[in-house]
Amino acid sequence: MTEMLALSQERTQLFHDLIDNKIPKRVPVNAMFAHEFAIQYAGQDLTEAQWDVNGLEPIFNKTCQDFYSDLLPVSAFRLPSFYKILGSRNFVMGSSGFLQHPEVEGLAIEDYDAFIASPFDCIVEKVLPKLYSKLDTDSATKAMVMAKAFKAFNDDMGNVGRIYGNLIQNFGYGFVNLFSGFCEAPFDFLSDQLRGFKNISIDVRRVPDKVEAAVEAVTPWMIKMGTPPDPSPYNATFIPLHMAPYLRGKDFNRLYWPTFKRTVEGLKANGMRSFLFVEHDWMRYLDYLAELPEGTVMMFEYGDPKLVKEKLGKKHIIGGFYPVSLLKTGTKEQCIDKAKELIDILAPGGRYFFSFDKVIITLDSANVENTKAVLDYVAENANY
Amino acid sequence: MLDLNALTQAVGDLDESAVVEMLEAFVASNPSGEEAYSVVGACQQGMAIVGELFENNEYFVGDLIFAGELLTKSIDILRPVISGADSKKIGSIVVGTVEGDLHDIGKNIFASMVEAAGFEVYDLGIDVTPSAFVDKVKEVKPQIVGMSGVLTLAIDSMKATVDALKEAGVRDNIKIIIGGNPVTEDACKQIGADAFTTNAAEGVKKCQGWVN
Repeated sequence: MTEMLALSQERTQLFHDLIDNKIPKRVPVNAMFAHEFAIQYAGQDLTEAQWDVNGLEPIFNKTCQDFYSDLLPVSAFRLPSFYKILGSRNFVMGSSGFLQHPEVEGLAIEDYDAFIASPFDCIVEKVLPKLYSKLDTDSATKAMVMAKAFKAFNDDMGNVGRIYGNLIQNFGYGFVNLFSGFCEAPFDFLSDQLRGFKNISIDVRRVPDKVEAAVEAVTPWMIKMGTPPDPSPYNATFIPLHMAPYLRGKDFNRLYWPTFKRTVEGLKANGMRSFLFVEHDWMRYLDYLAELPEGTVMMFEYGDPKLVKEKLGKKHIIGGFYPVSLLKTGTKEQCIDKAKELIDILAPGGRYFFSFDKVIITLDSANVENTKAVLDYVAENANY
Repeated sequence: MLDLNALTQAVGDLDESAVVEMLEAFVASNPSGEEAYSVVGACQQGMAIVGELFENNEYFVGDLIFAGELLTKSIDILRPVISGADSKKIGSIVVGTVEGDLHDIGKNIFASMVEAAGFEVYDLGIDVTPSAFVDKVKEVKPQIVGMSGVLTLAIDSMKATVDALKEAGVRDNIKIIIGGNPVTEDACKQIGADAFTTNAAEGVKKCQGWVN
């Protein structure tokens, strides 16, 4: 046990150095696998195992045993129990059992004004009944459904939290949590859960003033949502970024950036660092990202790592870029060469952690042997 | 008769109010079916401008979605004067989001752009099983099959679909194009598709190349 505690402390130090802008002993490794991957990797049936949270402990154990990481590499972010109780339309399973977010409209175009006047009231009264079919009913039944769903949510998340604690202790992971809070950029929240990708793309051209007022109105709520009860400079609030690459520069500049920047700054004022999943191609927005508070953590999916290192590497903490698609199609040698290439570019001067370009969501997303080989290679060889 | 070049330019500029104004005035002038089709053609040329601006990074995905909406609205306005007349199709294509994946935005953009380019489009929707692709291919005998996906799990489903098409003996009669976030050249080879793209406009050009 003391051996594991010492390992935890060593790994915690790697991330504290990363955050405190010191050169760590070696490049910290942050592998990330979804519970769907872990279930399939343990040889279990996804359609069944994701309903039983207690069963996730041995399942997560196997992934933790076989794949190197300095922080807890598994998570169960979206579980079906509470979505099922709610009759969810915004998170539904594909035929293989993988829970995902289809295109939905939670906010009708005629409800923009109600949303702008009071986002919270509008979400409760108008949006939730559209997104969750079981809430589209009388107040008494709705209250019961909501209570049941929250019970299921709290039970599942409580259990998952307990399992995370055990895994951190048993495997000696670092005491740094980059997922200790969660929110979205205001424009992404309006797009993903409220208007939908198609509608928002049309709104940006037909009713930009409403879009602008709506993202303004929801910004304080995003900051509130993203601030955990126990802020810490060594933890972070996870913000997966979505819509910016699909916007024209002038729409981004007016409708996306100002409220997103204020969200990150608001979290910082509340004592939280942001961990951004910089999804898709943000290369034309690097100068904007450079304006964010010092020490923002950014995991990139695409782009030119040299340019990112040059423009952001001194101010922010960079990860990602390693293509999961290569783990699927490449040879072991090609996969390790790619890790070397990225480390050579991104590691000098610190402020870099190794991670793949996205979370590995299912067993068929990557070749398992390649994945293990790359993580082991980085853990053993990326010393400063 | 309206100014076809001005219409094409307005569609290319995604200037909705100008397009609507021109088309409503045109419909009110009680045009012939032939005239109506030249107007549809001008709208399609406007969509080609949109595609070019997208390839030049002046337009982005949000603009393609708006362009699809503008085209649908335009055809709706023109419908009373084009019904009855025959439109000429340059080919046919079966599209769908592959099994296990529910994401359809990219697939819809591609479908509306190939339709605008003159293809007959059979859209199978989302989470489409390999056998559903096979059945539709046997039924409509398209020149092209387009498979879409966003999640990394889509790669294996695309491969399973190509394998099913081979097994059904119809693979050699068609060209297969795959599109979406997880597709790469290596994935394309592994899957056994003929082409891949993460850019709908480029995908349309490849399809046009196959039928010309």
